[in-house]
Amino acid sequence: MSDLGSPVPPDDTATVRPPAVPEKAPAPGAAPATASATTAAPALRIAGLRKAFGPKVAVDGLDLTVPLGSFYGLVGPNGAGKTTTLSMATGLLRPDAGTIEVLGTDVWSDPVRAKSLVGVLSDGVALFDRLTGEQLVTYHGLLNGMDRATTALRVGDLLDLLDLREAGGTLVVDYSAGMTKKVALACALVHAPRLLVLDEPFESVDPVSAANIRDILHGYVEGGGTVIVSSHSMDLVQRMCDHVAVVSSGRVLAAGTTDEVRAGSSLEDRFVELVGGRQHAQGPSWLRTS
Amino acid sequence: MVAHLLSLRWRVMLNGFRRSTWQLIAAIIGLLYGLGILALLVGGLFALSFAPETWAWTVGVLGGSVAVLGWVVVPLLLRGVDQTLAISKLRAFPLPADRLLVALLACGVLGVPGLVTLIAGVATGLSWWQHPLSLLTAVVCGVVGVLTCIAASRALESLTSSLGAHRRYREVMGVLVFVPLILAGPLIALAGTGLSSLRDDLPQIAGVLSFTPLGAVWSVPGDLALGRPGEAGAKALIALATLAVLLLLWRVGLRAALVASPGAAASGRSKGLGPFRWFPATPTGAVAARTAVYWLRDPRYGGSLVIVPLLPVLAVFLAATTGSDWLLYALGPGIAALLAVTLCADVSYDGTAFAAHLSTGVSGRADRAGRVITLSLFAVPVVVVATLVPLAVLGELAKAPALLGIGLGVMLTGFGVSSVASTRFLMPVPAAGESPFKSPQGASLTSALGMYAAWALSFAFALPEIALGLVALAQGSLLLGVVALVVGVLLGGALVVVGVVRGGRSLDQRGPELLARLRRASGS
Repeated sequence: MSDLGSPVPPDDTATVRPPAVPEKAPAPGAAPATASATTAAPALRIAGLRKAFGPKVAVDGLDLTVPLGSFYGLVGPNGAGKTTTLSMATGLLRPDAGTIEVLGTDVWSDPVRAKSLVGVLSDGVALFDRLTGEQLVTYHGLLNGMDRATTALRVGDLLDLLDLREAGGTLVVDYSAGMTKKVALACALVHAPRLLVLDEPFESVDPVSAANIRDILHGYVEGGGTVIVSSHSMDLVQRMCDHVAVVSSGRVLAAGTTDEVRAGSSLEDRFVELVGGRQHAQGPSWLRTS
Repeated sequence: MVAHLLSLRWRVMLNGFRRSTWQLIAAIIGLLYGLGILALLVGGLFALSFAPETWAWTVGVLGGSVAVLGWVVVPLLLRGVDQTLAISKLRAFPLPADRLLVALLACGVLGVPGLVTLIAGVATGLSWWQHPLSLLTAVVCGVVGVLTCIAASRALESLTSSLGAHRRYREVMGVLVFVPLILAGPLIALAGTGLSSLRDDLPQIAGVLSFTPLGAVWSVPGDLALGRPGEAGAKALIALATLAVLLLLWRVGLRAALVASPGAAASGRSKGLGPFRWFPATPTGAVAARTAVYWLRDPRYGGSLVIVPLLPVLAVFLAATTGSDWLLYALGPGIAALLAVTLCADVSYDGTAFAAHLSTGVSGRADRAGRVITLSLFAVPVVVVATLVPLAVLGELAKAPALLGIGLGVMLTGFGVSSVASTRFLMPVPAAGESPFKSPQGASLTSALGMYAAWALSFAFALPEIALGLVALAQGSLLLGVVALVVGVLLGGALVVVGVVRGGRSLDQRGPELLARLRRASGS
């Protein structure tokens, strides 16, 4: 099914590959105007998504199409609805309205199949942190219905890949924040998903690990997989992602390839321009010490 | 700053109630209950004024000593229960240690436990209203006593804070605290029966305690009333010296804690996959293995089990002291009934980590079955042993089938019921890593309701084998007993299957809603 099981080369060419052959799937419905419209079903298609928590509307008619094989960045200010959207896209939170399809499979009418295609790293949920790192990744593998041998092989590979081998026997509760993110990423990868949904994967990860994770993700995309990351770091998204969507107040303000969206300026400037709310003040006078 | 920290502390507590109406209601009920107890206490202290002075003095010294001891011991055991004003959180602010000490002292007095102790302490004056001088000293001594309580508790806590940084220590202590709490009831009962013989000794015990830091401060008013001004003066000195030493120790500890680096707890290592090797490599097996790790490693699970080994101790103890051995017969079914509803809290214990089950799309049935399997693996043998061993010792093995039928029947039925129940309602439980003893506000009421409902249902569904077993016991019929056993195991087993299937279906349908509620419960 995947070559995750093959021995990992010792150098940094290590890659994680999803199943490479894209299935023939019915053509997408109304494909929004993204530059790279494909004939196969997009990796993720969200249409008219809505979710309200009481009076507060978190996601307000959001449409998003993530093309197959793209490295998609989801950026937005705090409270823009990124986490809520990703939770609904991965079957963790039931939407009030709208449809979500993963590779042509409706997430909310065939959740089991959809979930088998997706690897999830959620922000703000706990892990079973009384397990050791090795146990936790094994647990996710077995929950996905993998057999013991495959699970063991992949867990070993992932621990090596993410530099967690040494900490494999330590309880996850004793991990640092960055290690916790890495082990959560291993959990998301272990069943070789076709689509990776990563909510804030780089938060509190040290630069070296972040670079390693980026390499792994790039390799995964080159192998035909699709990655969606949400992040606060415009710089990172601009360098890393080939597509980007700017989300604010539960809507998509701009979406497309990174170059299209940033339209000549830097993504950060464009983002501030789109979202607004920038204050041109030097701060209160008492804060100026000289 | 004192006022600031004080308002912060109350704000945090009140905001906790605003999260749910039920929590507020439960808190109000708890408040009324507490006020009732306090009123009884104050009334009792007033009533003592009509008794001989020695009584009031003895009660004051003993009660006061227990209060001081409690203030020292309970926080040591329940470390991390009230972290609102934890030093680790205040460390970031430029606070001088001395002012912080005063502020924390004030917050201690004006917190809930502090206020209760203060009212009770000052109310000791009521015992002495016929002796104006004692009345006045009692009020002063009450205040000094409360300050001593808080200083002692805080001093010891800050001095041992390095210990508290170790997760395992906190966990073990968190479980150990259950032991005295569970034994408290029988101990008090025992003390009650033994009290009549002990009554003559109590004044002597109080006499000794009154010269120690524990009881000195509570003894002064009584000594004055009893015409022992010399002793009163000496004890007042002891009391003040105690308070001074404690404050000094606290200050040392506080200064050290304010500059200490946030303790990185040493991590325990364990090797290999453990239970993941023992169980089959299926989703069900994985859930069972994960649950097994948690039963072994998470103190919240262990905490719910600690009563099991204590029950036999109690049964043997009661049989030996009172001569009634019915508890020995009831041991197996009793433990079975206790274990029956432990699964109710399972999803709640998972917390938001339950998202892993949801995002991997594991079937609800596998989730339910895995949890039941692990629990059964030790619960069934425990119940069988707890039933058979006492009967063998009593030479009543003929009663075994009936009692086993009742015990296993109730337990299996309970597994089935709680497999469904834990997908329908969440129990407010302490989050992973918190003290297992910490019950979130409102926990007592809502969780007790859900638990009792599950319990009642379990007994209702297990009625056939219970009735058969009881008749068999009453008539001494071995045959009926065997019938009870067969019915219990078969009916119970069938109900487990029904529970797993229905609970699994319910989990498949309501998984996202359950996760949303778990998120809310965890405050994120």
